[in-house]
Amino acid sequence: MRKGWFLPIAAALGFSFLYAPIVSLVIFSFNESSLVTVWSGFSTKWYGELFSDPQLLGAAWLSLQIAALSASIALVLGTLAAIALVRFRRFRGRTLFAGMVSAPLVMPDVITGLSLLLLFVAMEGFLGWPQGRGMLTIVIAHATFCTAYVCVVVQSRLSDFDRSLEEAAMDLGASPVRTFFDITLPIIAPALVSGWLLGFTLSLDDLVIASFVSGPGSSTLPMVIFSKVRLGVSPDVNALASIIIGIVALGVLAATIIQLRSKPRDRQV
Amino acid sequence: MTATHDPTIPPPRRLKPWNAVEKGLARVGITGRMLVLIAPLIWLLVFFLVPLAVVFGISLANKQFGRPPYTPLLTSEEGTVQLTLHLNNYIRLFTDNLYVAAYLSSIRIAAIATIITLLVGYPMAYAIARAPDRWRNILLMLVVLPFFTSFLLRVYALTGFMRGNGVINQFLGLFGIEPIVMMQTDFAVYVGIVYTYLPFMILPLYTTLVKLDVSLFEASADLGARPIHTFLFVTLPLSLPGIIAGSMLVFIPAIGEFVIPSLLGGPETLMIGRVLWDEFFSATNWPRASAVAVAMLLVVVVPIMLLQRAQGAVVEK
Amino acid sequence: MAKKPQQLAIDTRPWRDTANNKPFVRIKNVSKKFGDIIAVHEVSLDIYKSELFCLLGGSGSGKSTLLRMLAGFETPTSGTIEIDGQDMTEVPPYNRPVNMMFQSYALFPHMSVEQNIAYGLKRDGLPRAEIAARVNELLVLVKLQDYGKRKPHQLSGGQRQRVALARALAKRPKLLLLDEPLGALDKKLREETQFELVKIQEQLGVTFIVVTHDQEEAMTLATRIGVMNQGEIAMIGEPTDIYEFPNSRFVANFIGSANMVEGVVSEDEPDHVRIRSSELGCDIYVGHGVDCAPEQRLWWAIRPEKMVLSREQPAGLHGANVATGIVEEIAYLGDISVYQIALESGKRLRVSQTNSVRGNPDAITWDETVYVTWDEDAGSVLTS
Repeated sequence: MRKGWFLPIAAALGFSFLYAPIVSLVIFSFNESSLVTVWSGFSTKWYGELFSDPQLLGAAWLSLQIAALSASIALVLGTLAAIALVRFRRFRGRTLFAGMVSAPLVMPDVITGLSLLLLFVAMEGFLGWPQGRGMLTIVIAHATFCTAYVCVVVQSRLSDFDRSLEEAAMDLGASPVRTFFDITLPIIAPALVSGWLLGFTLSLDDLVIASFVSGPGSSTLPMVIFSKVRLGVSPDVNALASIIIGIVALGVLAATIIQLRSKPRDRQV
Repeated sequence: MTATHDPTIPPPRRLKPWNAVEKGLARVGITGRMLVLIAPLIWLLVFFLVPLAVVFGISLANKQFGRPPYTPLLTSEEGTVQLTLHLNNYIRLFTDNLYVAAYLSSIRIAAIATIITLLVGYPMAYAIARAPDRWRNILLMLVVLPFFTSFLLRVYALTGFMRGNGVINQFLGLFGIEPIVMMQTDFAVYVGIVYTYLPFMILPLYTTLVKLDVSLFEASADLGARPIHTFLFVTLPLSLPGIIAGSMLVFIPAIGEFVIPSLLGGPETLMIGRVLWDEFFSATNWPRASAVAVAMLLVVVVPIMLLQRAQGAVVEK
Repeated sequence: MAKKPQQLAIDTRPWRDTANNKPFVRIKNVSKKFGDIIAVHEVSLDIYKSELFCLLGGSGSGKSTLLRMLAGFETPTSGTIEIDGQDMTEVPPYNRPVNMMFQSYALFPHMSVEQNIAYGLKRDGLPRAEIAARVNELLVLVKLQDYGKRKPHQLSGGQRQRVALARALAKRPKLLLLDEPLGALDKKLREETQFELVKIQEQLGVTFIVVTHDQEEAMTLATRIGVMNQGEIAMIGEPTDIYEFPNSRFVANFIGSANMVEGVVSEDEPDHVRIRSSELGCDIYVGHGVDCAPEQRLWWAIRPEKMVLSREQPAGLHGANVATGIVEEIAYLGDISVYQIALESGKRLRVSQTNSVRGNPDAITWDETVYVTWDEDAGSVLTS
């Protein structure tokens, strides 16, 4: 049958399209030559160069801090928003609230970045806060769009949640708050972990929004990479990319294993 | 009576600390609901909705030199407050060919790229949905994995692949084929969008396709349909919500894309995200950039509504 | 475990002597509205100590809502609920001396069997040693001694059901609510578990209120049954009352199968009633007085097993209680056969006969003309 051949071949081509550029990038990061695409022998010198570049290291450290902070803020806000959306069937302004939660998911980055910058400038004019722009403003901006992602992840877990579990806890004498910490939180924990990780990677990845709301001296890693890449291919970026890809691959692998392990729990009655 | 009551159990109506806290809050009129809602609500109002309003406001101002680089909307002179609105930014959008062309070309590029992504993504999603159970999770992970690696670095990886002396041209050179110019063309932009947004297309498609019962195909075959007919009249219509959701997830962000046209496209590749960026960073014309943003929002509003409806359908099934 | 109570509710039947017995659960004029939908309407119900009371009804009959109001998950729109003399209407679930066994069991997936059972005891702040002892006691009671360390997803459906029961009993509640306790089990397991449940209930003397849609289950378990329909209690009674003496067409049809016939009262005497029925093609003679008026239109219901088939015309009773028809269908069920008899009016009667003779060659068969007859007290006269 024709279909029998078509699908596997299409999938194989698709996957090689996804992975070939990444694989070649990793290979060339070990290239001796500074001409990135001509192989001239194995070397790890670009990795060495990377770790002696204070600008890059500083930017990486700043990006990691911003990512951790904004993912954590987004975790709290996104979880609360998800609880409100799943559990409170009706409240005034629900449509507006639901819209505000999900809109950042599809809002073009340039608009988000521009609008937040204009807000910060206006706020500084009226309130004197935030003074200038830098890490704080980037964290606020990232937390805002990460909240939307956390909310989606937690929402889907919460809507699968069997409400009678909470009722059972209350029936056995647990107050609503106690029930939340004893029952609800442990059961949605995997979603919280993946929500946080998602927020973390998205923040680490963002170039456009950060470019708008950052100030002098607070260049994030993507901003530094972008300015390097704009000038042409640079081999130390290859090395950096390989490290990031390695870390992410490990992270996703770990997350997948955790999820597969926690699966049987979902199926319980 | 005697058997059921156990004197060793303390009476269940002990006041627990949390109950006291809840009661205290309830007395001031604060319910648990409000506590849950208040933080995300205020955050999103201040950092999502208000900024959009500010953008709209500033789009009605004029550029000026100074800090901030736009004319104030409200001025007060001797006790009278005056509101000054300028429409010239919007008038400019419609009269200056640059902007109109940029919007049209953004929509065209995003639409063509979306169709290519669909054509590439559909067979992949279908193959994954029909794969044996133990393969499915691994294949899905392989789709998601690039999404988690840096977007910027993936675009960068493409430049290494497509440049004049890049991997593809070196490969073609082995067969004596002349190098092809790919970088800094619209073609490179299409490849870039397909490459980076493919996971967004595959995931919703997979979600709808995997839920289709195999017996549907068997029933169709049993009723005499050939595979191509089964696909056209059963599979395709049933996966329509996934097609719409996936397409919108690619189309909407592609319209406002900045990184891809600036790294892969040429100087003549006009996209509105890039225009906005230049207007803001190079020309420092904040009011004009705001007007561009407002117009861009209007362009994406319809696709966003389409997306919301399709997502509802994807989830419901 | 607890001592066997001196007397079981079923032995004393306190509901038959309401003057000398205080109800344990008093539901007074309780209504519950969800928006415009009335889920429960003006229900009043008294349940006595150590009863095993079944709330029986179809989906949407309000039985689950009533149960959830007893547990405290819903607050009545109007009316009051008293348990053991205390008003519980506004008390939140975590402060009620009531526990519930959930239809889905609602076992906490991240806790072991022991932790699940101990959860309520911990909330009461019992000393650790006592909790351990109590958990052990309960595991023995539900025969899961060796399963304490397992997680719920490592148990079979029947085992989960027993864990759910043990957890609900752990706090020794005065009242246990069970929402479709056997609904998730397959047929064979369900039958075994029914008796197990009754045994445990009698052993502990706890008052049980069971919600079920399964009439067979209600009949086997219950001391009394409350049949619910569209948010109201249609009838309360012991299983035999409900089956043999239904008070309305709804109850007669809902429990078991019944032939329902329309008729008009032609004789209304203190010691008997005669009903003229064109559907049956004969009169119905009922051997007791009925609260009705001459020429009143009413209904008469009779169970299939309360009628007799014969080839020869029987004598009848006061010139009534004999209908004639043709055998249209026969369903052979092994122990009994169910005959569908088409009467001249087009009305069809279902009559069941015990197959007491093995392979009876002389059994009544298709297309035969037969006479259907019944006793003067075999059916129920229904005015609603």
